[in-house]
Amino acid sequence: MNTQNGTSVPAIAIRGVTKRFGGFTAVDNVDISVPQGSFLVLVGPSGCGKSTLLRMLAGLETPSEGEFVFMGRTVSDGTRGLVADAGARDAGLVFQSYALWPHMTVAGNIEWPLKVAKWSKADRAARVDEVLGLLGISALKERYPAEISGGQQQRVAIARTIGPKPSILLFDEPLSNLDAKLRIEMRSELMRIHRATGATSVYVTHDQVEAMTMASHVAVLNNGRVEQFGAPLDLLENPRTTFVATFLGTPPANLIEVTRSGDGLVYEGLRLADARRAEAQEGLQLLYPAHGLAVGDVPGRPAITARFEEAAPIAGRTMVTAFSGGKRLTAMADGYFRAASGDTIRLSFLSEPSAVFAMTGERID
Amino acid sequence: MSAAATSVLSRRGFLRSETLVPIILILVVGILVIAPLVKIVLSTLTVEGLDAWQAVLASKMSENLWWRPLWNTILLGIGVAAGCILMGGFLAWLVVLTDVPAPKTLGLLATLPFMIPSFAAALAWGALFRNSRLGGSVGFFEANGYIVPDWLAWGLLPTLIVLIAHYYSLAFTVISAALSSVGADLVEAAQVAGAKRSRIFFGIILPVVTPALIAAASLTFAGAVSNFAAPALLGLPVRMQTLSTRLFGMIETGQTERGFVIALLLIIVSASFLWLGERLVAGRKSYVTVTGKGGRTKRFPLGKWRWPLFTVAVLMCALTTFLPAVILTASSFALQNGSLFSNWTTHFWIGEGGTDMAQGQAGIFRNPVLIEALWMTLKLAVTVAFTTMALGLALAHTIARNKGSVLATVLGQVSFTPILIPSIAFAAAYIALFGAPIGPLPSLYGTFLLLVLAASAHLLPYAVQSGRSVLGQISADIEESARLTGAGFFRRMGAIIMPLAIRGLLAGALLVFVKIVRDLSLVVLLFTSTSPVLSMLAYRYAAEGFMQFANAITMVILVLCVVATLLAHRLQNRVQKWKSA
Repeated sequence: MNTQNGTSVPAIAIRGVTKRFGGFTAVDNVDISVPQGSFLVLVGPSGCGKSTLLRMLAGLETPSEGEFVFMGRTVSDGTRGLVADAGARDAGLVFQSYALWPHMTVAGNIEWPLKVAKWSKADRAARVDEVLGLLGISALKERYPAEISGGQQQRVAIARTIGPKPSILLFDEPLSNLDAKLRIEMRSELMRIHRATGATSVYVTHDQVEAMTMASHVAVLNNGRVEQFGAPLDLLENPRTTFVATFLGTPPANLIEVTRSGDGLVYEGLRLADARRAEAQEGLQLLYPAHGLAVGDVPGRPAITARFEEAAPIAGRTMVTAFSGGKRLTAMADGYFRAASGDTIRLSFLSEPSAVFAMTGERID
Repeated sequence: MSAAATSVLSRRGFLRSETLVPIILILVVGILVIAPLVKIVLSTLTVEGLDAWQAVLASKMSENLWWRPLWNTILLGIGVAAGCILMGGFLAWLVVLTDVPAPKTLGLLATLPFMIPSFAAALAWGALFRNSRLGGSVGFFEANGYIVPDWLAWGLLPTLIVLIAHYYSLAFTVISAALSSVGADLVEAAQVAGAKRSRIFFGIILPVVTPALIAAASLTFAGAVSNFAAPALLGLPVRMQTLSTRLFGMIETGQTERGFVIALLLIIVSASFLWLGERLVAGRKSYVTVTGKGGRTKRFPLGKWRWPLFTVAVLMCALTTFLPAVILTASSFALQNGSLFSNWTTHFWIGEGGTDMAQGQAGIFRNPVLIEALWMTLKLAVTVAFTTMALGLALAHTIARNKGSVLATVLGQVSFTPILIPSIAFAAAYIALFGAPIGPLPSLYGTFLLLVLAASAHLLPYAVQSGRSVLGQISADIEESARLTGAGFFRRMGAIIMPLAIRGLLAGALLVFVKIVRDLSLVVLLFTSTSPVLSMLAYRYAAEGFMQFANAITMVILVLCVVATLLAHRLQNRVQKWKSA
């Protein structure tokens, strides 16, 4: 377990977990563990198995193989077919749909799980008021879920989940139903809640921006497997596969397919890098972040011709998308750049490639 | 791993509630549905049973026992299916796809005939068309000097008309649901492509609703072949037999094995047509999902035909719902059958016994047998409504949450089996199983319990279906979020599922109530003098010629059914308070 620091037990340890539905493997031999208080984000495209992994963490599904250990307690054991009841795992889940009970008021929704956990009446009332205050929704106490807005429902769902003080909080794409502005607001709100409760959080999303801004640990999933696991910046700077390299980062990084020619790596006759960075392979892919590509010729740097597609202004600069050899490239231009779709523009490579990948996707240098 | 570490784990084994509940349910539906069917098959494989097979299928009697009833049954089935498709289809088209006035009211009217007993229309027919062939009092027309020919008074044609008047509303329900799924964009796309109205109808709308037409045809066919009341009241007096009246006659006269054989043959006839319909539809179901999103339907302007067609539709509904009700009411007050609207008396309702009227019998509300039957009917209907809805909800829930597992598939198929079995044949199977003591258990024949068991089993497919539609409105997330709090199965049911489902369940229960109150073909075999029910009393009175009593009791049943139906309608449409925003 690479993140286990020896002195304390990991809050969550996922050990060799596989989940099969019939012949289909949704989650394939996943090994991850995080210390207490961390914010683990599971990120990946739809169908990558991240929600299944979360549902197994919640105890709603049993793993086919492997085990889940929370604070040193085994809560699911796939090989022996054992699973702790969802309620006995000390974990709470915020659903993507919020899953508020429509026939209970806001206060009722928050109180019911405490009733099930046999809290005393006075304790329940105090806790309900406390979490309502924490989420800033005390005024909605007596309303029904259908009478409040989507953002408010989201807050109620979170309040309900943190009510019984679980030591693990699970989130299933909780922000995907909110509009863009509210999403950013709730993002910081969630971070605040995470810090206030001191719980260990696991957060599932397909939005890499959420992953980058919120996580202490990120696991990038693809086809049921963990492509890479680590700190967000580490993943951004040292992607181990082309999948991770292109999935993370805004704007997206560029992959240029090159061939070996003499001692150089060449793209359309243009030498981009030294061949010594790669082993004896013929075809390779070079990674350039968007800010490594500039619009226009730069003296002393290699440049290519591309067909302009679109421009989007970002923070005083312009993100330019263009096509070269059928591939989409993203470059940055200073100031506001304008061109007509289909115009020919020049793109310069400002630096050496930040990484070199084999054609199969794994990192070489 | 320490001992404490394993203590929070529970074994995913045999006795978790997740597997325990389905196993209990399998046992229940096994006893309710499978056991009687197995038993009736076994009963016909004994020495007497094999003799009965021979007598029915290959003897001098088989012409009378099997071939002629079969011919009549199939003729009725095909005629009813065709008539219902035409009538129900016409009304569905008018209500859903045209700008006919008051479509909602028309839609409600078109569903009413199915909610009143089929023998109501049969009795009303008799009150109008009964002729002097059988002696006794004649109907309205003959009493007023018209000669009613036999073919109009008795036999195939009246039975056919009465059954169509009853079952067309079933066809209407199925076809109008399918027509509503033909989205406006589908029709508009054809219009933009330049298609004319008839081209759109035959090229787009008809192919899309073909599966529904086939489904409606096979459902009404199955309904007609298993109906007992109409052929018994209008056909038996002139010896027109169908398989269900034959089956009744055999068991009534103690020829039990022959009755069982005919019951099995009736099941085969009905099930094979349903199966055929299912096969024809099977490959085409995918059409429905393609058009799934069209919330809006395109209404065609009828132009100058708007009011004439509206009048036709209103007449259809009035002739099949209000006219029978009016005739039955009038007849229950009429001193003589033929003079419906003169010399009214309340004797048949509240008259005292011992007079020279009605051979000294008292009016129905002074007749202790009737009062007992009324309570028995209500008790039966309420009990069955609750048992089936509870069972239906548990089954639908288990099937949905275990989707894909063998358990769920078996449960689903077994609980839908009764749909293939005509109710009178189902009753025969219950006699086969429970008619004699089983080991230490006494015979259940003639007990209230047997009626409850048979009726619950018969209505199981309906209950599971309404359980499903109720649960369909409650997302799995809602229940999972309750499960995560640690709440057990029964607590989740009680605190989350039930409060959300209660209105839908009550509406479903009311409709089960209606189905029981108006049923005759199931109880006609299971009924004894210790467990009288209203529909059976009405049938007895009609068979003995006391038409006024029969009609008065039928009116009581009709009112019960209509009130319950309207109540269910209100419950389904009323907004729940947490949805008020």
